[in-house]
Amino acid sequence: MYDVVVIGQGLTGMLSAIWAKEHGYRTALVATGSGKILQSIGVLDLIPGANGGLKEWSELYQLAAIEQSQLTEAMEQFKVLTKRIGYPYKGNIEHLVPIVTGSGHIKQTALYPETISPIKEHGQVIIVGFDEVIDFQPAYIKGNLQKSRPQLSIDTIKISLGKQSQRTMTQLDAARILDQKENRDHCIKQIKQQMAEREISQPDLFIFPASLGVENWTDTLEQFTKELGANVTEAPGMPPNTTAIRLHEKLKKEAIKLGVRFYVDTTVVGCKMDGPVIESLTFKTSNHTTNVSGKQFILATGGILGGGLEVTSDGVRETALKLAADANGQLIHCPENLYPVGAARGSSVTHNGITGGVYSVLSSHEMVGKLHQQAIIGGFRSA
Amino acid sequence: MLEIILDELTFDKCLKCNACVSSCPVANTTLEFGGPKHLGPELKRLMNNQGLIDDKRIELCTLCGSCDMSCPENVHVSTLTAFAKAFHSEKSGTKFRDFVLSNAEWVGKLASAFAPVTNLAMGMKPVRKMMEMVMDIPAERQFPKYRFHNFNRVYKKKTASTERKVAYFAGCYATFNAPEVAMSFIKVMEHNGIEVVKPDQKCCGVPMFANGQMKQGLKNANHNITSFLEYTRQGYDVVLTCTSCTLAFKKEYVSFLNTEEAKELASHVYDADEYLRLLKESGELNMNFAPMNERAGYYAPCHMKAQGIGNPAMDILELIPGFKIQDVGAGCCGQCGTFGFKTEKYDVSMAIGRPMAEAVKEVDADYTVTECGMCKNQLDQLTDKTVKHPMQIVAESYERATVLD
Repeated sequence: MYDVVVIGQGLTGMLSAIWAKEHGYRTALVATGSGKILQSIGVLDLIPGANGGLKEWSELYQLAAIEQSQLTEAMEQFKVLTKRIGYPYKGNIEHLVPIVTGSGHIKQTALYPETISPIKEHGQVIIVGFDEVIDFQPAYIKGNLQKSRPQLSIDTIKISLGKQSQRTMTQLDAARILDQKENRDHCIKQIKQQMAEREISQPDLFIFPASLGVENWTDTLEQFTKELGANVTEAPGMPPNTTAIRLHEKLKKEAIKLGVRFYVDTTVVGCKMDGPVIESLTFKTSNHTTNVSGKQFILATGGILGGGLEVTSDGVRETALKLAADANGQLIHCPENLYPVGAARGSSVTHNGITGGVYSVLSSHEMVGKLHQQAIIGGFRSA
Repeated sequence: MLEIILDELTFDKCLKCNACVSSCPVANTTLEFGGPKHLGPELKRLMNNQGLIDDKRIELCTLCGSCDMSCPENVHVSTLTAFAKAFHSEKSGTKFRDFVLSNAEWVGKLASAFAPVTNLAMGMKPVRKMMEMVMDIPAERQFPKYRFHNFNRVYKKKTASTERKVAYFAGCYATFNAPEVAMSFIKVMEHNGIEVVKPDQKCCGVPMFANGQMKQGLKNANHNITSFLEYTRQGYDVVLTCTSCTLAFKKEYVSFLNTEEAKELASHVYDADEYLRLLKESGELNMNFAPMNERAGYYAPCHMKAQGIGNPAMDILELIPGFKIQDVGAGCCGQCGTFGFKTEKYDVSMAIGRPMAEAVKEVDADYTVTECGMCKNQLDQLTDKTVKHPMQIVAESYERATVLD
């Protein structure tokens, strides 16, 4: 019997589980796969794919009721957590910053890890790609970036990581290579050599793939910044992005160390109800059907892109518990002890199919707060 | 010719998102490995309705199952890689060493029959140098000790008369290397008024699957299924103390064979701690635990995580008064069954294991707890902490409580 059972291992699921456990609740997390953080680029947007600020966001997401203090508290809590796990996020929701992506487009984001630096209107940048990583092409990125930053002077450099691989190398593979100092030395030497040969002057910013180290990202960032004599940024693009991998791995390790129980490679197939409340969750693991009982349940299965909602010819369907949903994906009769968070709350809190990290953080924070309130006032309903 | 049975386990859902590659302990350590995505769903896609392709890179797959756990689309990648391994062995042959390593039961029988001599010889440098030269088994790799008084010699019970009855699958490790684990489990069950029988059994087949010996592995699987179904049909529950054998019974037999019998058996199979947790939930668990003022670090084997059962070992050990246990939060150990015993894979095995050793060091507990004998082998080699099976601790707590009474 758990106090809290979280379904889903994306950003909302992971944060909900960690924060519930921090409140002292016996917490379980049930998930099919490793969640969608791995497919993301590891930054937290307000409105994904759009440039609107707080006002537009709260209108679009119908967040009129949200108190400013709650929002500030949620962002602060996320920053404290990421700092504690050794992967601090910076930025704030009032002032979005422009960052460059792995396709050379500019996007506005709210919170981002220290390996990312905003991109300015003027000045000079150098885009550095690796011969081995085909998902990141400096010339292509330059073409796109130049369109939105006409006053920026852009050079491109391609260097070799000097490694043979038996598979198509990704940004993550490059990051693991750059975890080692001798490989970083080798890269810096080539960059300097090419700058000298092609008479490229010292830039304000170096743009790399999302590859600046996994475990040793602080050393990588420090060495590159210092020895290249300029700011350095990662431009995340095609998954796996190391910006996102670091967040996922560190959050997961934190959750495990706190004592959250993970039930992975499972498929939720339904639940047992006792009147208006859920008594236990039924899920399948290979050929086993298991029931996990709990007092409160958090539905963090995502929206249509995350797999929590499905569009069928009969309308929108909730996929885990098979509950009826309206045209926006909102549950019609939500059990009393079930709390949908993030994109699982329906299409009114998504844009271009995803919530954007800021809403995920807010939603998890708010929900765990509600659980806590319920526990203090009425005690957990014993199912 | 091998037939790849996939049934509902489709690879079509693969989006090539790379979640499996970024979660693969081997891919994260060496660029020599083709990776689960490339050698699983992509290779299968390439071969569909065409000839099978023999890909040597599959040798580095350990069948740890991390890919299955990571896949957001529920593609059973490891089933595909297991068949790729089998096809590779069939086409390219099996090294004598891999044949020996995959026959853990046969080795166990022989090694334990001459146990004092085997252990002595395995500890001698010239012997190990010779083994490295002839067999490609690295001289630096520590081996588990073999016991003359193996579990087969000391425990032969075939019928039980208690209300709850357990049919125990001991596995090669508890049989030949660690009979104390098997005996602890039997004691724990005794303290709960449950009699344990040991049905006729063969090696679960995991080392065979991992070395591409699919046919032999499936032969063993069918043997065990027939033998244990006889018991489950009389109301016995099947319980195991080795997480790799448990995963084979629960998942691999079903995925590889896809027979009704395999499915029927799987629904009766429990990990030992999972079983105790079930007893606890139904109010049947003997709660007379003596306090143990010890602090342990828990290391979760991949094949425990892959069962999707939470963390039953910690759930049970936390019931012991005074006992403190902390998950060290580490990934794969790198031993991966027979993988770490091979010269060409030794460096990769060590490199995978290092973060685990650091995590154990960081928690700095009195000792480490893990269910898997092979993970223990790597922990023994890479850390200076003693390693215990959860059943040994539970048994000790029960025993102390009996003395106190």
